Amino acid sequence: MYLAIREMRFVKVRYSLISIIMLLVAFLVLFVTGLARGLAYDNAASIQNMDATHFIMEKDSNHRFTRSQISEQVLLQASSIVGEDDVQPLGVKMTTMTAEGKIGKLDVTLLGINPEGWLMPKLTEGAAITATGTGQVLVDRKLKDSGIGLGTVLIDQASGLKWTVSGFVNHESFSHSPAVFLNEHDWQQLQLTTITRTSSATKWTDSTYNAVAVKANTHQKEQLTAVLADAEIVTKADAVSAIPGYKEEQGSLWMMIIFLFIISSFVLAVFFYVITIQKSSQFGILKAIGTRTGYLVRSVALQVLLLSAGSLVVSMLLIQVTESILPSGMPFLLQSSTIALTSSAFVIMSLAGSLLSVWKVTKIEALDAIGRTAA
Amino acid sequence: MRHRLILNNITHTFEDGGIQRTVLNNLNLQVSEGELVAVMGPSGSGKSTFLSIAGALLDPKGGVVLLDGESISGKNKQELSDIRLHKIGFIFQSANLIPYLKVEEQLTLVAKLGNMNKRKAAERIRELLDMLGLNHRRSAYPDKLSGGERQRVAIARALMNDPAVLLADEPTASLDASRGMDVVRMLAEEARELGKSAVMVTHDERVLPLCDRVLYLENGGLIERK
Repeated sequence: MYLAIREMRFVKVRYSLISIIMLLVAFLVLFVTGLARGLAYDNAASIQNMDATHFIMEKDSNHRFTRSQISEQVLLQASSIVGEDDVQPLGVKMTTMTAEGKIGKLDVTLLGINPEGWLMPKLTEGAAITATGTGQVLVDRKLKDSGIGLGTVLIDQASGLKWTVSGFVNHESFSHSPAVFLNEHDWQQLQLTTITRTSSATKWTDSTYNAVAVKANTHQKEQLTAVLADAEIVTKADAVSAIPGYKEEQGSLWMMIIFLFIISSFVLAVFFYVITIQKSSQFGILKAIGTRTGYLVRSVALQVLLLSAGSLVVSMLLIQVTESILPSGMPFLLQSSTIALTSSAFVIMSLAGSLLSVWKVTKIEALDAIGRTAA
Repeated sequence: MRHRLILNNITHTFEDGGIQRTVLNNLNLQVSEGELVAVMGPSGSGKSTFLSIAGALLDPKGGVVLLDGESISGKNKQELSDIRLHKIGFIFQSANLIPYLKVEEQLTLVAKLGNMNKRKAAERIRELLDMLGLNHRRSAYPDKLSGGERQRVAIARALMNDPAVLLADEPTASLDASRGMDVVRMLAEEARELGKSAVMVTHDERVLPLCDRVLYLENGGLIERK
């Protein structure tokens, strides 16, 4: 303790330089983490916002909403196991639309839900859709930038169906495309047009959905798996990572984050190793006058800890500043739990970086102090 | 008269290119309280080995080292560390102070390592610095001190934990004649007044008159010459 702090006070320049490097790395770690989290949320916000634990999907759909087809029957079976209140049908369809009177097309994701159920997002503007009404939709706020307002009529390119925007919701998207919410009636309407167009041989008398959102405990989940032979019970996390583009995007960002951790660990390792080698005769003297190796090791570890923790604190302040000046279109999300996790990982990696120096310190012989001319 | 440092039949060998080389051969030495013994010898005669063994830095192949009557053989590393901290005061060539500690902090460090009570430590530091005439330099860093001052700080550091034995490794090597004389005179005085057994390895013949005994390291043993 005593040695560590006094040394840093004495050789300020050396330690300030390394702490600036650490500060920049820590800042980058937090920034990229925030960006990764932000993109993850922006990508899959609608699914993440859903208060479900699992989704029931068709077998062999690879956990993908858009590939899965679930019949009304499955919905009923699921309700009998987990209870009617904890089951909600969900339709997901990625499509292209045009707004009446506007030039240009929009890529959106249609989400068919029960407006009275718990999948219904929170309204921020306009009027909510109802279970009985027809032709009314809620759209994500982002569509405002494309000139969509309350009362705008949207035309689905594939089916030719028309809906009127009745209200706006916030942070609702699927695979980075803004979400459009419709009620079950409109959803079935859409299904029918699509099916007749594909002239499928199958007769669809029942309503169909893409998935069923459930709130289930482990026991109920097992029951569902047993009863629903043709379906698969997918956890929310799995469903999210199967959204097109999600895994790829997160994968590359996580690779950057992991590399930053490794870099910070190596930067510290090299810095402290070189300093330790420079000071080896000094450590020899300290050992000769009766300093225990453990004391010197703690001293090195404390310096590493102070440097990494100090840089983290400053970089957190910088992140706060950066976050406030980032443009709103930039998805950036850094919750305190993420900060805590990232920071502890950073400190642990830094300490791992000091292991080489610690090993060096334990190897230094006190004996070297005798017969030496220079300090 | 009490002997605070006793070396009994010390033997030490080195493996040197496949050949066993005996550096110390049944070396015996008793240093009494208040005595300063000078050890001379050509380079390679084993002075450093002798000092390392006396200072609990090196375990001899044979023989016993007794500090205040207590043997230090068979101790583990930590116990030896503690023995060096409490029983032995080292004074190295060219002082070897810690560059980033002020004069008084050099002594505080030793007090802290020995878990000395803070008030007691502060008092002792003042006493020692007074005694060695360093009071006006107490908050200077080592690089601002003269060679003689540095060596005086080293003596103060060695005395801080009130050790039984003072071991000096060519303390005058980097000093001019008169500064060297001052430092050795101080060492002799402190040993006498505080009742330490002091051993100084040296090449410097000018300081020999200040020592109580002068021994020569020859053929692995210590011989007295008049």
